[in-house]
Amino acid sequence: MDGCAEDSADSEGDYSEDDFDSYYHPGGDYIDTEDGQTSADSADPELFPVECLTIEQVENLLNEAVNAVCHSLNTSPSLAKLFLLIHSWDVQKVISGYKADVSSFLATSRVITAGCNCALAQPSLLHNHLAPAAADTVNEDSFVCPVCTCAAPGKSALSLKCQHVFCVDCWTAYVQVKISEGLSTDITCMAQNCDLLVHEEVALQLPISNYHKLQYQHFSFHNYVMSHPQLRYCVGPNCSLVFKAPEALAKRVVCRQCTSVFCFKCGNSYHAPTDCGTIKNWLTKCADDSETANYFSAHTKDCPNCNICIEKNGGCNHMQCYKCKHDFCWMCLGDWKGHGTEYYECSRYKENSETANESAKARAALRKYLHYYERWQNHAKSLKLEEKTLEKIKERINQKVMNGSGTWIDWQYLLDAAALLAKCRYTLQYTYPYAYYMNQESKNLFEYQQAQLEAEIENLSWKIERAETTDRGDLENQMYIAEKRRKTLLKDFFQT
Amino acid sequence: MSALPRRIIKETQRLMAEPVPGISAVPDESNARYFHVIVTGPEDSPFEGGLFKLELFLPEDYPMSAPKVRFITKIYHPNIDKLGRICLDILKDKWSPALQIRTVLLSIQALLSAPNPDDPLANDVAELWKINESEAIRNAKEWTRKYAMEN
Ligand SMILES: [Zn+2]
Ligand SMILES: [Zn+2]
Ligand SMILES: [Zn+2]
Ligand SMILES: [Zn+2]
Ligand SMILES: [Zn+2]
Ligand SMILES: [Zn+2]
Ligand SMILES: [Zn+2]
Repeated sequence: MDGCAEDSADSEGDYSEDDFDSYYHPGGDYIDTEDGQTSADSADPELFPVECLTIEQVENLLNEAVNAVCHSLNTSPSLAKLFLLIHSWDVQKVISGYKADVSSFLATSRVITAGCNCALAQPSLLHNHLAPAAADTVNEDSFVCPVCTCAAPGKSALSLKCQHVFCVDCWTAYVQVKISEGLSTDITCMAQNCDLLVHEEVALQLPISNYHKLQYQHFSFHNYVMSHPQLRYCVGPNCSLVFKAPEALAKRVVCRQCTSVFCFKCGNSYHAPTDCGTIKNWLTKCADDSETANYFSAHTKDCPNCNICIEKNGGCNHMQCYKCKHDFCWMCLGDWKGHGTEYYECSRYKENSETANESAKARAALRKYLHYYERWQNHAKSLKLEEKTLEKIKERINQKVMNGSGTWIDWQYLLDAAALLAKCRYTLQYTYPYAYYMNQESKNLFEYQQAQLEAEIENLSWKIERAETTDRGDLENQMYIAEKRRKTLLKDFFQT
Repeated sequence: MSALPRRIIKETQRLMAEPVPGISAVPDESNARYFHVIVTGPEDSPFEGGLFKLELFLPEDYPMSAPKVRFITKIYHPNIDKLGRICLDILKDKWSPALQIRTVLLSIQALLSAPNPDDPLANDVAELWKINESEAIRNAKEWTRKYAMEN
């Protein structure tokens, strides 16, 4: 369970392959320090104090809350956990809710049946649910368990506070079957339509097998973490790390173990500047409309000058035809010359005012969607291609150092540039769903900033692909500008 | 196969001694957990006059797990699909060990009287049931005549 290590100071000088890789994550933070030297002024819009916890630390955190509730309400840990689970681990809410009205609190916590007074009559016996069936309601000698139809000797019949009595053998078999189905804190009473919960203490005191006990603990721990607003499991498929943040905000979490980068609030891939609801709508829409859109995201386009077929083989959208040397933009096929200063013509979608009839509206809607989708897809693809570019850069650096031209440190800036490019392009990709759903009023300013960012990213990509012939100072300047544009856009539009 | 639990024996005895009106459930000669079921189409339903065959199987952990039930006779119903699978809450998450074979069969009979197109299993049938109920009922009667009335 490691990978939790804080950003250790990088021992400069000896870069293994691993070091290269750890530098190439969109979430890498080195640039922030670099930036900090020049502009320590404004707060980083992406700053988020997220901690990575070990299982033990999570247990301690949960136990603290449980103890606080136990102590204040004089209940068992099992009931405290149940209360906390239902009330999102808000200790104060549990304590005040309980003190305000025990009966209704216990009913909403599914410990007693609504309207029953038993809790008030015997508040100190709350935890004692596994008592033999009350003798005044069941004649022990004649009790027949309704599930197995066997006469149960008095000692082995039990009920929750609802007084639905069943024999211990049936309870045990039932709880084991439910655990096998993946249930734990959510197991209910065996009676039909009774939703009282078989809480932890009750389940674990039954003579269930050790295997089922372990499974129960495993599943219930999972439920506790899932119900805690400050805790999140890593979304990586085989990763079980838990992250903790002071607040459930739509901010970036980077898992250092499995390299997942996700939103703390919703668990989707990190999506700034777009918000959680919007990215969900967008991803659903893309999944639904993917067939229509697939056609448009083909890998090849014809050169607008000589019509030869050109394959996009780098991330940069500044294309140069290998035959006629014409410079053009991959996205709008316009001449690249116009893009240096007025690039925003390319990223801005112009609303067509002529929407005379319904079918024209539908076509306009599809055209609008495709405009954004194509750009969204295109930047995703560029990100992938730039990963390959990075591989090439690593090879070239290796060769250079082996041939005695420079040291690893001398070439580090190239890797930094590639990582920054990935980070910027990632944000750029996620500006398109934002723009698609945004209203007309603030759209102009947003798309202006988006175009500025896009232009600087394409410049950076172009320079990195031709790093041999690019001056180092020039490249570093370009890095600075691109990151500054990215941060400005996030500061102005990213609401968490 | 382990010995038959007392609960299953008792339920079987009662099903034979006091059968549910309109339903026959007979255990298989070679497997006491497998029941051959025939449900009579309820009066005033499009299934009236039909005899519907079902199979019912009690899994190893019955009654902690629900019985498995399936229509063998083809039926035009929004909550029953082509394979005869039934969409009924007590056969899934609303199952309780306190329920019995008898209650399950009664619920299935009730489902024939009151189809619920808002919780569909057979989407095309449910769709028609919602937009053109009289045509759906005509189809259901047609299917009943065709598949549930031979002899
Ligand atoms: Zn009570
Ligand atoms: Zn029993
Ligand atoms: Zn109950
Ligand atoms: Zn992870
Ligand atoms: Zn989110
Ligand atoms: Zn050309
Ligand atoms: Zn363009």
